[in-house]
Amino acid sequence: MTKDDINELQDGRRPNAAAPCNVDVVQNRVVQRRHPGRWLVAILIVIIALQAGQGMANNPNFHWDTYFTYLFSPFVLRGVGWTLLLTVVSMAISIPLALALVIMRENENPILQGVAWFWVWFFRGTPIYTQLAFWGLFAVLFPRISVAVPFGPELLSVDSRWVVTPAVAAIAGLSFNETAYLSEIFRAGFRAIDRGQTEAAQAIGMTKPKIWTRILIPQAMRIIIPPTGNETIGVLKLTSLVLAVPFTLDLTFATNAIANRTYLPVPLLLVAATWYLFITSILMVGQYYLERHYGRGHDMPKEGVR
Amino acid sequence: MMSNSTHTLSVEMDSVHKHYGQYHALRGVDLKVAKGEICVAIGPSGSGKSTLLRCVNQLESISGGRVKINGELQGYRERDGSFYPLSPGQVSRQRRRTGMVFQRFNLFPHMTALQNVIEGPVHVNGERKAEARQRGLALLDRVGLAGLGDRYPAQLSGGQQQRVAIARALAMEPEVMLFDEPTSALDPELVGEVLEVIKSLVSAGMTMMLVTHEIGFAREVADHVIFMDEGVIVEEGRPSELLGNAREQRTQAFLSKVL
Ligand SMILES: Nc1ncnc2c1ncn2[C@@H]1O[C@H](COP(=O)(O)OP(=O)(O)O)[C@@H](O)[C@H]1O
Ligand SMILES: [Mg+2]
Repeated sequence: MTKDDINELQDGRRPNAAAPCNVDVVQNRVVQRRHPGRWLVAILIVIIALQAGQGMANNPNFHWDTYFTYLFSPFVLRGVGWTLLLTVVSMAISIPLALALVIMRENENPILQGVAWFWVWFFRGTPIYTQLAFWGLFAVLFPRISVAVPFGPELLSVDSRWVVTPAVAAIAGLSFNETAYLSEIFRAGFRAIDRGQTEAAQAIGMTKPKIWTRILIPQAMRIIIPPTGNETIGVLKLTSLVLAVPFTLDLTFATNAIANRTYLPVPLLLVAATWYLFITSILMVGQYYLERHYGRGHDMPKEGVR
Repeated sequence: MMSNSTHTLSVEMDSVHKHYGQYHALRGVDLKVAKGEICVAIGPSGSGKSTLLRCVNQLESISGGRVKINGELQGYRERDGSFYPLSPGQVSRQRRRTGMVFQRFNLFPHMTALQNVIEGPVHVNGERKAEARQRGLALLDRVGLAGLGDRYPAQLSGGQQQRVAIARALAMEPEVMLFDEPTSALDPELVGEVLEVIKSLVSAGMTMMLVTHEIGFAREVADHVIFMDEGVIVEEGRPSELLGNAREQRTQAFLSKVL
């Protein structure tokens, strides 16, 4: 019996208030068990942590003065902004694309299935560094992008350099690569939904698009969000590879550039680590709220079930 | 057949066959359910009872024969002896004529009881939310769940969940209700409350096809009982005939086991 049940009984709010035993229920006075072992371990850990902290803080090799000089330097802050932007935009593009890939794979049309399978095979099977380098070379390989009738007249043509800028190349590389992983996660999420859900939706006359948006996607979200959170943090760290494009405004490039100039790599690695931790923390807060939203209807207490 | 029979017939199955790959699950089923009639299907597990219901609302496509509801051919347009499949949109429009209640409830777990009930009216029929809520609350009241509209399925007992599922099907105002073993997944003490709700629909004149192992309930509410085995209707008739003194040996053998 949960505490709420007991309160309910004491208040006499239960539907069958006439039943005996609901009047003078007295909770047992429970004396907490003591855990001396836990305390011992906790004290030990605190001592070790303090010593390690002191060892780092007083260690001249860490160059804390340099750390604080550059932690909030505009150059670094701009890197933080770009890294966050690359992460968020890449995820915002890859999530709907991955969803489309899943829907294509579940479609009866074998051509759509094949395209989706090929996409995942290609982007999962080649290194992200190589993909980023190719996106960087896009304007060299295809100087003009044109829209034309196949084997017919050209309708529209632009210079590739104006379209596939380094930022666009970086985002395209990161997001296309990510769709391959996300679509596998999403597929597993949709597979976990009972077939009866689709059947119940069909039975009330829902069409396929409605079943996806109203029934399947909201339910899959609950399963999909934790691993997608992981992937987002993964993309955050992959942004340090955009040098391959080359794109040179991200956080890792900024701190590396300063480190090379000052010959002090350690404090600048610490600056970068601090900011990556900070961004990860922000992303985790977002994940917490998303999980809570899509967890509704699950993991809830059974109140007053007859 | 009399010419005016199309006006009184609700569901009409005409030598319906169903194959699952190689497996022949329905082997020529002929069945007529009149409007307002309660047709109960009994039979051993695997005899094709669920398949029969699922062919009526096109959760399964048939491999031969015809299914008609109110005289309208389901799933196809027939022209010059050929069958042309309907579009997915047309199929879902036909499905709105039937309501289905599943053995395992299949409520949408991410929606409250009331949201489950108004999902069809709002997102399929495009009803205004306020109106749908009013009707939904009345329906929950009708199945004895007034005040529980804000509960999620996980917060309801099996019997309560199944009653929400019945309200969800009723919300689409179907012409025929299909029940596939609606009490088989319930604890014994919860069976009664669901059967009560079904009985109230019987009194209201709803046309029904019901698969059940509750022989006593079948005797009480059925107008027409069919006994299925190995994909065919072995025997059918009024409950007093079929359940009282069955002619076929297979029916007798089955009834002696379940009664
Ligand atoms: N989706 C399916 N794929 C293959 N075989 C199926 C499928 N559904 C049902 N069957 C088979 O068809 C037969 C009839 O099943 P069903 O209609 O569920 O029987 P009942 O409801 O009478 O127990 C069974 O032998 C079952 O194994
Ligand atoms: Mg069955």
